[in-house]
Amino acid sequence: MESKATASGSFLENIIGKPVYVKLFSGILYQGKLESIDGFMNVTMSQVSEHYEAEENGTLHKYPSEVFLRGSQVLYISEK
Amino acid sequence: MSDTPLDLLKLNLDERVYVKLRDARELVGTLQAFDSHCNIVLSDSKETIYELVEGDLKTTERFSEMIFVRGGLVALVTTPEDE
Repeated sequence: MESKATASGSFLENIIGKPVYVKLFSGILYQGKLESIDGFMNVTMSQVSEHYEAEENGTLHKYPSEVFLRGSQVLYISEK
Repeated sequence: MSDTPLDLLKLNLDERVYVKLRDARELVGTLQAFDSHCNIVLSDSKETIYELVEGDLKTTERFSEMIFVRGGLVALVTTPEDE
């Protein structure tokens, strides 16, 4: 069985390239394809849409190019 | 495409970038330099300030030739759509 100690590490590596939700402490939710991630939880995403708290609340913005999010502002990263 | 997130910033050196900061603050400028804290130096930058004046959203723009942004306040960096 895989050790729980590395669970966060392997989770973060395995979701690269997948559609994810990233929520920031501000409550803004980003939905898009995870391009890369580092140990600070800095992430880059492509095909990003921006929502407030949940996707159902409507789209605030769509970003046509890749987006960098700073790890310290990240509340969670979840697989879509 | 980028291997690590900070590589994306490297690709944007000398390009125009849109930087979203905490508390709904926004900057657009030419990325001159950055480091691993996301401290950022922008040239020919435009700061957009949003405020509510008697219930109406008012935006003000401030221009600066060179500006140093403290990394801790950075939330998002991407390419601006238009200026």
